[in-house]
This record gives sequence, structure tokens and C-alpha cells, in this order.
Amino acid sequence: MLNLDINGRRVTVRKGTALLAAIREAGFDVPTLCHHEALEPYGACRLCVVEVREPGRSKTRVVTSCNYPASAGLEVETESDAVVHTRREVLDLLLARCPGSSVIRQLAASVGLRRSSYPPDQNRDNCILCGLCVRVCEHLGYSAITLAGRGGGREVAAPLKEPPPDCVGCGACVRICPTGNIPLVDRDGMRRVWDRDFEMVRCTGCGRAYITREYLQSRVASSGLPASHFELCDECSRSRAAQTMYQHMVLGDKEASHE
Amino acid sequence: MSRMLTVTPGRCIGCRTCEVACAFRHADAGVPGRSRVQVRAVAKDVWVPMLCLQCDEAACVKACPVLALWRNPETGAIEVHADRCVRCNACVVACPFGNMAVESPAKAVVKCDVCGGDPACAQFCPTRALEYLEV
Repeated sequence: MLNLDINGRRVTVRKGTALLAAIREAGFDVPTLCHHEALEPYGACRLCVVEVREPGRSKTRVVTSCNYPASAGLEVETESDAVVHTRREVLDLLLARCPGSSVIRQLAASVGLRRSSYPPDQNRDNCILCGLCVRVCEHLGYSAITLAGRGGGREVAAPLKEPPPDCVGCGACVRICPTGNIPLVDRDGMRRVWDRDFEMVRCTGCGRAYITREYLQSRVASSGLPASHFELCDECSRSRAAQTMYQHMVLGDKEASHE
Repeated sequence: MSRMLTVTPGRCIGCRTCEVACAFRHADAGVPGRSRVQVRAVAKDVWVPMLCLQCDEAACVKACPVLALWRNPETGAIEVHADRCVRCNACVVACPFGNMAVESPAKAVVKCDVCGGDPACAQFCPTRALEYLEV
């Protein structure tokens, strides 16, 4: 365990805790876009900046708290002038990059930015290159997409910019994207994501297409569960289980009491 | 002594008080659609409150690729650890009873955690169709 000061309050955290986790544990909030607790910190969005002073040093530094380790005697400010200025500048740049993103616009508005002071990039989508989609895909063991290119040409892409062969169409990237930038279309029993078309498995009960064949096979293989577990959608599973419970417990009870 | 949330379908009168109690306990808005217990009509005037059965060999735990589900030894309930869940929905599909829920709009995966040992549904069920019993 180690002690540090966050906004003047003494906080005790376990060794190895990231500064962001320590700050949130202490009840303070720092905005983030690229952070997810299940994934390795990445420091891409730069919104989690805080001002720190190491013990014995006179100078302070502005660092990203998600990938900065909490250490003994550290003094942390989450709303100092330097932090507010840096965060505002970061949001100014994000707003110029993604003027169409409602998430970015809301965050920018929270620091009083209605319009970016930089010329807005109208031709770009709402990707902020935070890499959450790439990281969650890797975490799930598929690694179907990656960050490609450098500088202004950097983008999230599949290998050779072709439909990714390792993608199973689970949609975790779509759900984790902070700006909702990854398109996923389910139509007529097909799913289209990353320009690849997936055949969906239909629920044997209601006929709703609810999971891609590739994802189902992948989950059956790694979980060791029988494929029959995946035949029904969650709604039909629940209805069938309710029926079973009724038949066994209500009708079964009555028959037993007649005997 | 461990306790278990039990369902007695014959007693359920379909009043859906459990859904509301659950929604108030777990969601700020108290929207029944976000409830982790759902009352299902199975025949005319027959209902079954459906909620997680906390299986010994739980399919959700096996299906989870990121080990975000495990049993709380104090309550015996399997809990979703939101800090690990990446919302791949494998558990939602795998549960043979359809008892994993996806909460909108955040799309977070949620399930019954017996309210940490004091289930609101059992507390408010007027007919004791849901009970938190010592076993």
C-alpha cells in the first residue's frame, strides 16, 4: 500500500495502481475516451491529463493518468490551471478532427468550447484513433484489425484493407467505440462489419438472426459448451425455460398431489 | 448457512412487482425493461418470474472469453465484473435460460446478483413466488 495526495486529500492505494484508478477511487472524476478497465492503458486520447509533482521535486509535470503509476508521496491535481488548459486544447483538436461527433461535442461544450479554433476537418469520420477497437479485438483473441499508416494517414484498418479474414463479426469493437464510428448493419440474416459479410445463425425458436456463424463456432470451440446452448436467442431461451419450469413445477406438482 | 433465491412458479400472479423492485434497486430510472428479473406468461393466467438460477456449472462463465464473470463466495451469486466485461455478448447467447440481460442504452451486460445478499424482488413479492431462503 502507498499514500499519495489527490487534490489535497490523502489517499491510500495498492502498489501498482494506475493514477487514473487511484483518482477515481478517491471520488474525483477525470474524463477519458480511450480507457477501458479491461484493457491495457494506452494514453491515446490525452483527456485524462493531470498535474503531478514527484516527492522532492519542485517542478510539476502534466501526465496522462491512465498509464502513470501511482507512487508514494505523489501530489496530484486534477483541475489545476495547467490541466484545464491542456484538456481544453486536446478537446479543441479533437473537435477539429471530429466536428460531427456528438460525444466530442458534448465533452467540448463541458469546457466551454462550442466551435474549434482550428479549421474543422469535414472529410473525416469520427475515429479519434484511440485504438479501443483494435485492443478489444486483440483481447478477445481475434486480432482482426489493426492501426495502420503513420502521421496524418494513420487509421484503423484490416490487413491489406481487405475484409478481415480473422474477424468473427462479434461486434465488440462496434460497442466499445467511444464515438460510435464503426458501422455494423444486420439485414436479411446477414451482418456487414469491416466490409465483410457474415451469415447469421437464426434462432430455431423465433427465426431472429442473432449471432454470426463464425462467432458461434469460435465460442463453442473455446468454451467447451455444446452447440445446443447457442441454438436459441436469449428471448426464446428465457421463454422456453419458463415453459419448462411451469411444466415441471406447476403441472408436475398438481399431478403429484392427485396421486 | 447459505441462502438461495428460489422461484415457485405456481404462486406467481404476474403482478410484476419484482420487475419494478429490481429496476428501482439497479437502475436509477426504475424502468422495468431494465430489470434483471422478467415475468413470462406461459399460459393463460400463468406466469413464471425468470431470473438467473446461479448454475453450479454456469454456461455464462464458461462462454466468457475475458473471465469477467465469477461467483461471489459470500452470496453464491455469479456477478458480472463491469471492469473486465468488453460487451462481446457471448454470455447472453450462451445462457440456456436467457437470463443475461443487456441494459440499454449503455449496452452493458447485467444479471441478477441477488442484490448482494438482500434481493429486492423477494422482499416485495406479495405471494412469495420469489423467496430468499436458507438452504
